[in-house]
Amino acid sequence: MNPFALEFMQRAFVACAVIAAVAPLVGSFIVQRGQSLVGDGMGHVAFAGVGLAFLLGADPVVGALAFTALAGVLLVRMGRAGLAGDLAIALIFYGGIALGYLFSARANAGQTRLVGLLFGSPLNLTWPQVGVIVALAAAVVVVTVALYPRLVALAFDEQAARVAGVPTDRMVMALTLMVALVVVGGMSSIGLLLISAMMVVPVAAAAQVASSYRSTLWLASGAGAASAVGGLLASHYGDVAPGSAIVLVAMACYLVATGWRSLLRRTQSVEALTGGG
Amino acid sequence: MPVLEPTSPALELDAVSFAYRRVPVLREVSLRVSEGEFVAVVGANGSGKTTLMKLSLGLLGATSGRVRLFGTPLERFRRWDKVGYVPQRAVSAFALPVSVDEVVKSGLAAKARRFGGRRPEETARIEHVVEVLGLVGYRQRRMAELSGGQQQRALIARALVTAPRLLVMDEPTAGVDGDARGVLRDALEHLVTAEGMAVVYVSHDPEGFAGLAHRVVEIEGGQARVGHPGAAQRPVVAPAQ
Repeated sequence: MNPFALEFMQRAFVACAVIAAVAPLVGSFIVQRGQSLVGDGMGHVAFAGVGLAFLLGADPVVGALAFTALAGVLLVRMGRAGLAGDLAIALIFYGGIALGYLFSARANAGQTRLVGLLFGSPLNLTWPQVGVIVALAAAVVVVTVALYPRLVALAFDEQAARVAGVPTDRMVMALTLMVALVVVGGMSSIGLLLISAMMVVPVAAAAQVASSYRSTLWLASGAGAASAVGGLLASHYGDVAPGSAIVLVAMACYLVATGWRSLLRRTQSVEALTGGG
Repeated sequence: MPVLEPTSPALELDAVSFAYRRVPVLREVSLRVSEGEFVAVVGANGSGKTTLMKLSLGLLGATSGRVRLFGTPLERFRRWDKVGYVPQRAVSAFALPVSVDEVVKSGLAAKARRFGGRRPEETARIEHVVEVLGLVGYRQRRMAELSGGQQQRALIARALVTAPRLLVMDEPTAGVDGDARGVLRDALEHLVTAEGMAVVYVSHDPEGFAGLAHRVVEIEGGQARVGHPGAAQRPVVAPAQ
């Protein structure tokens, strides 16, 4: 049966394509800053927020948002206090996963529900949930566009940006909160543990063929959306887990882009040796 | 050319000290750099010259002493468009494809309009610095494809797009070959003599600023000593009209 005609698949296509297109926009800044794992850390913190929401009977999105926003502030403060960037991420990472499981176990959250949040369950989304995901993604796009020059300066060189008068502390905070929004937006579709891959892998793929930072963003966003659609189709026809399929399609994009780049370089070398003719 | 009386200090350090985890790095260093003046800061690795530069720009806080930029105490200074900073170039600084044009324009980020749009004077300034630094043919090239000297010129161009009055550079000739050093020297000469800019040039390599520096400050044992036996120095002159 045509998957595009099925309503649950339509919801999955919209939610996954939107969040997978937006995740690399944020990812391009964190990859350039050498903080590719920050999304992973945030995913673990969101798990703690979801666990607490289960325990209190609250909305998991609210719990995840509250915890990731708090972790974002903490992450920046810990970095400013002199903790190396990856150490701060690691502490939050481990604290999040431990708290998440502790809360979930206390709340007797079902195994299926937990696995769905960790690895995504886009086929179970409702239209209101899709609406929340689209709203979170839209917020990320608006902030990216509004702050683009300052975020770019921050990503290229934080100290130079600071001397140039860019409010770097506020930009770091904004970027961290954008990561949090993407993680929360992606948790029920692609999964808390997999959404961070969509911030990084499409960017790595785009970087193989792009000629500028801006083109990297566009290509990565396109690769993210295409991976979401491709992954959902693979999941539908191959009966595999959708979150995993989406990330694996993104990985395949990276391999194809790397191959394409090698081929291009080899062709250019041959042309240089033969004088272009 | 008339000799310029150095009366307008772009940078003043007054008895500045800095300690890292209670270990003194700099002790009561005083320095005054005027517009149109080229001051080289030299010293061995670990002498504290980069620390001095970071204290001057507010990237580090002094343990004691005062720093002023254009007469304003550092903590109250807001006119960062008057200051250009060229950090030490790192080979792996650009993890993603970044064009020269994007690097240069990122220097204008602090005053960028929300949701895009560039002022005509900003566009004109970009064109000017790209031309002065010989980057016209490289604007769409990826930074990773360029030589060390070309990358360095792109970083200098980024620092110059706000038309600063003070340019602070950290090891600008590191990893730059002979020909590129010549281009860099010409550009710096133009900035100081034609544009009347104050330049603070931090380096362990006297060859990079020989014949350009009006003064050389050597950092040794955490203290500053003006004058350096191996460096050629020259009088401060007024900018060409």
